[in-house]
Amino acid sequence: MQAESSQLEPTPSQPPPLEQTTPRLSPVAASLLRTLFTLLIALLMGALVMWVSGKDPLQAYRALLQTSLGSRTAVANSLLAATPILFTAMAAAVAFRAGIFNVGAEGSLYLGGFAAAWVGFTFTDLPAWLILPLAFLAAGLVGGLWCYFPAVLRSRLQVDELVTTILLNYVAILFTEYLVNGPFLVPGVANAMSPQVVPAARLPRLMPPSQLNASFLLALAAALVMIYLMTRSKLGYEIRMVGDNPQFARWSGINVAGVIERVMVIGGILGGLAGAGQVLGVHYRFIAGFSSGLAFTGMTVALLVRNSPVGALLAALLFGMLRSGSATMEIMTDVPRDLIRVLEATIIFFAAIEFGSLLWRRRRER
Amino acid sequence: MNADTLTNILFASLRVMTPLLLAALAGLISQRVNLLNIALEGLMLFGAFFAVVFGAQFGSPWVGLLFAVILTTLITLIYAVAVVELRANLIVAGLAINTLAVGLTSYLLVVLFNARGAYSPAGLASLPKLTIPLLADIPLLGKVLSGHGVLVYLSWILAGLTSVFLYRMPVGIHLRAVGERPEAAETAGINLKGIQYLALLLGGVLCALAGTQLAIGDLTIFNDSMINGRGFIALAAVFFGAGKPGLTTLGCFVFGLFEILQFRLQTSTSIPPQLPQMLPYLIVVLTLTGISLQKVIRKKRISA
Repeated sequence: MQAESSQLEPTPSQPPPLEQTTPRLSPVAASLLRTLFTLLIALLMGALVMWVSGKDPLQAYRALLQTSLGSRTAVANSLLAATPILFTAMAAAVAFRAGIFNVGAEGSLYLGGFAAAWVGFTFTDLPAWLILPLAFLAAGLVGGLWCYFPAVLRSRLQVDELVTTILLNYVAILFTEYLVNGPFLVPGVANAMSPQVVPAARLPRLMPPSQLNASFLLALAAALVMIYLMTRSKLGYEIRMVGDNPQFARWSGINVAGVIERVMVIGGILGGLAGAGQVLGVHYRFIAGFSSGLAFTGMTVALLVRNSPVGALLAALLFGMLRSGSATMEIMTDVPRDLIRVLEATIIFFAAIEFGSLLWRRRRER
Repeated sequence: MNADTLTNILFASLRVMTPLLLAALAGLISQRVNLLNIALEGLMLFGAFFAVVFGAQFGSPWVGLLFAVILTTLITLIYAVAVVELRANLIVAGLAINTLAVGLTSYLLVVLFNARGAYSPAGLASLPKLTIPLLADIPLLGKVLSGHGVLVYLSWILAGLTSVFLYRMPVGIHLRAVGERPEAAETAGINLKGIQYLALLLGGVLCALAGTQLAIGDLTIFNDSMINGRGFIALAAVFFGAGKPGLTTLGCFVFGLFEILQFRLQTSTSIPPQLPQMLPYLIVVLTLTGISLQKVIRKKRISA
């Protein structure tokens, strides 16, 4: 670890890409190896925590594997859990590539989720082919708009986007909680939730009895669009330029502020779509506090695979497995599901050590 | 508003600003060596957890305080080694500490006490309150300034000490030099890594105190969402204060005041509680916007 990190010393102009540190391997193989190594360390760390606290790590991991992949329904449930993570991972990844820390997708997820629910329980007469696109459109719009505010603050005024998006997430969570406790309160329901959406606004389930639904396909489609955007489009090129060297990008005539804004708004749209998928595909209504840090999990995924959209796809599926398996693991083996967070923390920690100096330099510039 | 309400509001503001101030001092010292400390939030949560758990275990809030400081500083050491020695990305490592804090404390809460999310041990007293002899007798002001918990007063002393440390003591002057001109400082023979370690570890101690105040300063309770963004609000106070202890303290007071105002709005009016709860976060974001706007305008004026 130390040997590798000493080679990663930040040089003033160009962070050394990982390929240079392991010249004999192809880039894909190298990044795959690095990812697997990080995962292994995380699993070992989790095992250590379990062992110290008197639990049986092998039994727990076996249960985790079994309940996330052991049957048709288990696989479907893993894909179900992976769905929102796919969206938030893409949101984080696209921002990272431009050197931006956008956690605003969490807030967008809540507000977008509510917007979709609102369309779903308000326009009760519309047919499915109209109400579903309308609901997703509303979610994307609201989600994107939500991230536009911190985006403008960051791009025009240099207000730290990590701090503002984290603080604004609290605002979004509280505001939606207010909406379902106040104006949209359902009388006679104990928990804070909106009315149910009409059947026409419910996404079809793919593999009953699992709740896996069409929003998974939408997430895959969104991932493909993002992969295209990042690797083939002009915007993707500009994003990479800004991420590698904002100063140089500016001199090359790229509208850096505009790129930063677009990157954060795209993250917000993805967050909004994730929220709509959960509402229209799983719960059929908006439930206060339903996300529990999905944007942070997305960020973990993006950090684990570091800017590789295809990698993000695979890692999101893995985290879906972990999330879906951990609840059952808790029941079967008495190991609290919060262990997954410890694994996530280890992964983020190692990503921090390995991370190219990209974001580091950008922070110091200010 | 009568005098009683006013003194109550001010008294409560001083109480709730304490964890903010302690964390902000941690953030401030890191900021002065040019290290943006994102881990404040998680370190506070660790501090709160250890204070409650060990306080309950040994039946003394003081032992809780002691363990909170020792163990949180040890965790900060991991963070510091990663950042200083292994050149880890500062922000990402900070996020790792925050995630670890939520994960590990919730995990241990279930394993140790079979409690999910919150834990309130029976029989653990909170840290003592102090009545300041002469101060307490001053009309009005006495009611505002006297009768707080020990850590409230300690936070004021530490704010003063931070100022003395940064501007009057050689180590503090070295520390500022490292932040402002790292190359020059290194040429002058200042131990760069040592200073960075010092700044981060001092921050760890301060965050431990901040968490302890939240957990056993008044009530004795731990819950996994008790920090609620205070680490980031503290960072905002540092930005507001531009790295100066006095202004940063003022920022913490203002943010504390809004926390109390929102609380009073919740209890004294029929407004749904979530709307006032949004207020402190919005005020912080607006404040950050204001400072940046001011900077941009000043820059324009200079270039014009």
